[in-house]
Amino acid sequence: MKKFPTILKYSSLAAAIVVGIAACNKDIEEPQRVGYSPVSVDDKAGTWKTYILASSSEVAVPAPSAVTSTDYVAELATLKGLTTNLSQEQKEAVVYWGAGAVYRWNEIARELSARYNIPPASNAEGKYPVPDAANPLADPKFPFANPPYTARALAYLSVAQYDALVSAWNYKYKYKRSAPSKVDTSIPVALPVSALPAYPSEDAVIAAASVTILKAMFPGEVPYLEAKMKEHLASRQWAGMNVTSDLTAGTDLGNAVAAKVMGRAKTDGMGAANNQALTAGMIEAAKTRGIKEPWLSQEAPLRPPMLPNYGAVATWNFDKTTLAQIRPAMPYVVGSAEWQKELDELKAIQNKQTREQARIANYWADGAGSYTPPGHWHRAAANAANEAKFSEVRMARTLALLGTAEMDAGIACWDTKYFYYTPRPQQFGLKTSVGLPNFPAYTSGHSTFSAAAATVLASIFPEQADKFNAQAKEASESRIYGLIHYRVDCEMGLKHGKVIGDYAIARGKADGSGL
Amino acid sequence: MGFLCAYINVQAQMPNDAIYMPKGTVCVGTMYTHSSWSQYWENTLKRENLNIGTHTTQSVMVMPAIGITDRFNVILSLPYVWTKTSAGNLMGQKGIQDFSAWLKVKAVNIKGFSVNGLLGASIPVSKYVPDFLPMSIGLQCRVVTGRVLLNYTHPKTGLYVTAHGSYMWRSNINVDRDAYQADGRVYNTNEVRVPNAYDLGGRLGILKQKWQTEVWAERNSCVNGDNIRRNDMPFPTNNMQATMVGWYGKFQPKALGVNARVGYVTNGLNAGQSTSYMVGVLYLFGVRK
Repeated sequence: MKKFPTILKYSSLAAAIVVGIAACNKDIEEPQRVGYSPVSVDDKAGTWKTYILASSSEVAVPAPSAVTSTDYVAELATLKGLTTNLSQEQKEAVVYWGAGAVYRWNEIARELSARYNIPPASNAEGKYPVPDAANPLADPKFPFANPPYTARALAYLSVAQYDALVSAWNYKYKYKRSAPSKVDTSIPVALPVSALPAYPSEDAVIAAASVTILKAMFPGEVPYLEAKMKEHLASRQWAGMNVTSDLTAGTDLGNAVAAKVMGRAKTDGMGAANNQALTAGMIEAAKTRGIKEPWLSQEAPLRPPMLPNYGAVATWNFDKTTLAQIRPAMPYVVGSAEWQKELDELKAIQNKQTREQARIANYWADGAGSYTPPGHWHRAAANAANEAKFSEVRMARTLALLGTAEMDAGIACWDTKYFYYTPRPQQFGLKTSVGLPNFPAYTSGHSTFSAAAATVLASIFPEQADKFNAQAKEASESRIYGLIHYRVDCEMGLKHGKVIGDYAIARGKADGSGL
Repeated sequence: MGFLCAYINVQAQMPNDAIYMPKGTVCVGTMYTHSSWSQYWENTLKRENLNIGTHTTQSVMVMPAIGITDRFNVILSLPYVWTKTSAGNLMGQKGIQDFSAWLKVKAVNIKGFSVNGLLGASIPVSKYVPDFLPMSIGLQCRVVTGRVLLNYTHPKTGLYVTAHGSYMWRSNINVDRDAYQADGRVYNTNEVRVPNAYDLGGRLGILKQKWQTEVWAERNSCVNGDNIRRNDMPFPTNNMQATMVGWYGKFQPKALGVNARVGYVTNGLNAGQSTSYMVGVLYLFGVRK
């Protein structure tokens, strides 16, 4: 017996030391993105088809001063001064924004979505106050950036960036004013310089367009957004990339294009998306279609369902007749043998959920406090486009195709959800390992969003098609493993999402890019 | 202990006395703990949650304390933990949590006054989900704890007073998702920083040959961390804090004994206001004569 305690003593001491060393490093490593020269500058992008603008010359941009003019020479001298004696903070800003302007503003929008994605708390009267756009920082904060809201915010962001960049490309190649460092080779540059003409600055166009959209979508974040834009524009000068007139013209263009895009946003029907007065009629209509047991909120106090009229919001890539035509067929009715079989499947998972099933459910949950499934797919798209070294305009096109597909997926899915108004498995005693969304079950939003996104991304990145499609399938099944969707919700949502994604692809094929 | 159960359940079971197993003896404790709350601090806001109702954490823990010498003990523990709520639809979690080992040394011992040093380490022994709070059974951290414990026991009456303080170095953890929100931003990684923590405690009691009774107060706190966002769920990065008061007693006439503890959280941050009780069976035996 003597040996045992001695071994124990030393082995536990050794274990403590090993664990101690491992416990000390608290640094969090995140993937870093850096600037690159695009594989193509897409010099013909000024002819690509815009979403909102009638043409890429709808918003006028004045001709710049010639590179030989005294004004421009003075601008060069100023720029040269700004590139010297950079602080560490300024150098970091150059690297941060240099990774890609569309990339960064998409990332910022996702972060805002996550920060605002929290359902309002109930008050003392047992009611859920509705977030107020006029008082965005009160409790509850405006907006509640749930999946439909985030899908829409990111769609308008990407469309504004795209239309503004197509316009910018038009003027860049109309005026052909070279990058400052090509005019004066003594100007030091901190980022790769491509053959792209510098006027108007694509970075300024993207920053202004993005900030205009995001201020409207997240009205409590105006000071934050303005500070970000200020740093973004300044970083272009610290990096020696743009003279002031490049930035001014870009800012004006971005603002003007985004204002036109906001014209659509203001009239797309979102203002009526939370019309709770419609739900009684929706339930009656679902009953006439054969739904015996309609959805009921499982929260206490009963929470009004999320955006019941979001299905009426204007779509991007197909019309409302098509929306009705592609709506998934009637699901299994409560009490039917098929429904019972799928409920039994969920019960079996609840009794013995494997760690792998829990992992999949958690990985794709993207619930409260996250950037939601549309944000998840925007991130995947932005990363893929960054890794493929897309030009800013091609990246914006990618995200606009994806973003409009995601918003269309949200609209079509919400239309389906409130058309059939079907109950969640929790109405029949199931628990959940991911949290229960407060709206009808059929069809699964995750499945619809993911299939639409994977379809678009598989078309743009064909060599990664299998990966994206497998991810969509996993995202769809994750809702079964999380016990909040019947299998039919997920399978029909996947099919629906694929059709929705195909409409975005058709739009992309006809946009004149040849991509 | 609510959200805090994740690390303090075990912690509170840990040696926090100046009692040593004599050389060659082992005391195995098997303890059942029940801890529940119906109100919690969401940041500083004390609230209830009708979709949780009463949250309950239960555990069964086996804890042998081994006398290597009269002044050096090794204490091991391994708990099985399970959680549930009385309302809402969050699925309860269950599993074997973290294995802990403590080395306990009486460094100074003069006339009833002692200075004791403790070094503890714990590692998760199952792949439980750490970020499904408040249902998760633990945080998946590896933890190293350093503790200093001062004690004075009046030799004749057995009256004692104890003060102790600890620092817990807690490792980063990996979660199933590859992005999460903390500190007001989104981290694009599955690695999560869990704040280090400390505790402070004071005890006043009587220790006799066959029995012990004491009242205690403890402060458990992270050294930093973020707060639960309005109406959101907790997260492992949260700055969880709690002040607890309670009573502990032990009765061990011979080899077989029982112990019990009750505790109540009086004050907290990002934590449940839990009431807990523990009952245990103790069995003392010699491993060499």
